[in-house]
Amino acid sequence: MGTLLRSALRPLRRLGGLRGQAAVDVPLRGVRHGAAGLLYPGHIPTSPLQKALLAAGSAGMALYNPYRHDMVAVLGETTGLRALKVLRDQMRKDPEGAEILQKRPRISLSTLDLDKLRSLPEGSLGQEYLCFLDVNRVSPDTRAPTRFVDDEELAYVIQRYREIHDMLHTLLGMPTNILGEIVVKWFEAVQTGLPMCILGALFGPIRLSAQSLQVLVSELIPWAIQNGRRAPCVLNLYYERRWEQPLRALREELGITDPPTVHVRGLA
Amino acid sequence: MATHRSRALWSRVMRSCRLPGFRSSWPRGPLGARHVSQEKQATETHFGFETVSEEEKGGKGDIAFRFLNYVHEQHKGKQKRQLRAQQNLSWEEIAKKYQSEEDPLGGSRVVVCDINKEMLKIGKQKARAQGHKAGKSYGLAWVLGDAEELPFDDDKFDVYTIAFGIRNVTHIDQALQEAHRVLKPGGRFLCLEFSQVNNPLISRLYDLYSFQVIPVLGEVIAGDWKSYQYLVESIRQFPSQEEFKEMIEDAGFEKVTYESLTSGIVAIHSGFKL
Repeated sequence: MGTLLRSALRPLRRLGGLRGQAAVDVPLRGVRHGAAGLLYPGHIPTSPLQKALLAAGSAGMALYNPYRHDMVAVLGETTGLRALKVLRDQMRKDPEGAEILQKRPRISLSTLDLDKLRSLPEGSLGQEYLCFLDVNRVSPDTRAPTRFVDDEELAYVIQRYREIHDMLHTLLGMPTNILGEIVVKWFEAVQTGLPMCILGALFGPIRLSAQSLQVLVSELIPWAIQNGRRAPCVLNLYYERRWEQPLRALREELGITDPPTVHVRGLA
Repeated sequence: MATHRSRALWSRVMRSCRLPGFRSSWPRGPLGARHVSQEKQATETHFGFETVSEEEKGGKGDIAFRFLNYVHEQHKGKQKRQLRAQQNLSWEEIAKKYQSEEDPLGGSRVVVCDINKEMLKIGKQKARAQGHKAGKSYGLAWVLGDAEELPFDDDKFDVYTIAFGIRNVTHIDQALQEAHRVLKPGGRFLCLEFSQVNNPLISRLYDLYSFQVIPVLGEVIAGDWKSYQYLVESIRQFPSQEEFKEMIEDAGFEKVTYESLTSGIVAIHSGFKL
């Protein structure tokens, strides 16, 4: 209890030097990184107690209100330290993964050359990805930036994991409805071992109808697990270099089989 | 310039859920407000004012509503006593007295002033929900204004209250001077605000809760860590009970006293313009 209190009160000592500073400066303090323990822009240092409270709170809130995607992100950041380290070491060992760690590519509307992607032949990864974004009306810019990871390289790893989520939808051929998201979560859980993915995979189906649940358990989940195990780590793929590669060929390379065709009443 | 940043920050906070702000001052929030309202009863008996008009800061108007309800009750009581004292009134005259569109507050008025429009909007909604109506006939007015530069003339108010608001003013001394200016001679200044905890054990627990739990609650409920981090830091930066007492005295108030609640987590400061 004493050590917990001490570690919890550690942020206070930092704040001790703030007395006398105009209160109005405080909200801008976080922008200067490099000072006060900020490792990257947007970093919010947190004590172990705060991380535990955040993890519990975000898990509860995400279940209570599934539209709070920011809570899912917070849950991933506060619980994923061990899994992220394993992922990072795995990436270092793979040549393509090591290059990603070094170059730190980001997927956003500002970094994607949409015209070039649209001009690519049909069936290529780039074309299929754009098609997926259009059909499901999503944008790669909705991913929240990392805040609660206390290591700058691991912060990038989880950011990369978030940004390739849409890529996984394209690879697996899964839509963005609730069933599709759960299938992708199962795939990610097997691939990354992140506690947030595991929790999402286990608790996501709670709100499903009996019919959807049956289809999920009998066909979709086994397929997701099988492919997740067989495929190499998807974080190791430099997607930005593979836009021209035909999707079919990429799927073969990763050992991903075609998704089972299922028809569930009420879903696209 | 600083007030613009203040405005933007509070607009951001107001957009999110109000509950976490309440939790940071619970249970002191409602208790403190009730305590300040009770202080006002002392004002009435001490000075024997027939009509008390008051300014209230803090857009949601919790103290304003308590004050209005209290004045309303007092006025009703007074009316009853007057009728009883008057003898030989016919029943027609008694009925007419009750039905007359007389001011139910007996001349008392409350002005609620805040720098943030959203706060005032929420206050008006609360007023409507409780049955109070704005406008001269019912004694409740809502004014958009800056505590450092109040849009009122000198010597206008009998009482000035500010609850959990002065901490957020950039230049507290200017706000105190403005309070002194708009009060009538004999008027009272009352301020409810977070203060310094005098008990070391409670201080540690309070710090733990403030810094560990409140930003987390802000993030989980409102998706806003930074604003609630700012909230708890601004509480720590506020001067102690004695320091604030001296600041109030510097603004020209006399007979300045304070009362700490919950071991000093909040304090009520009082001063008179004499």
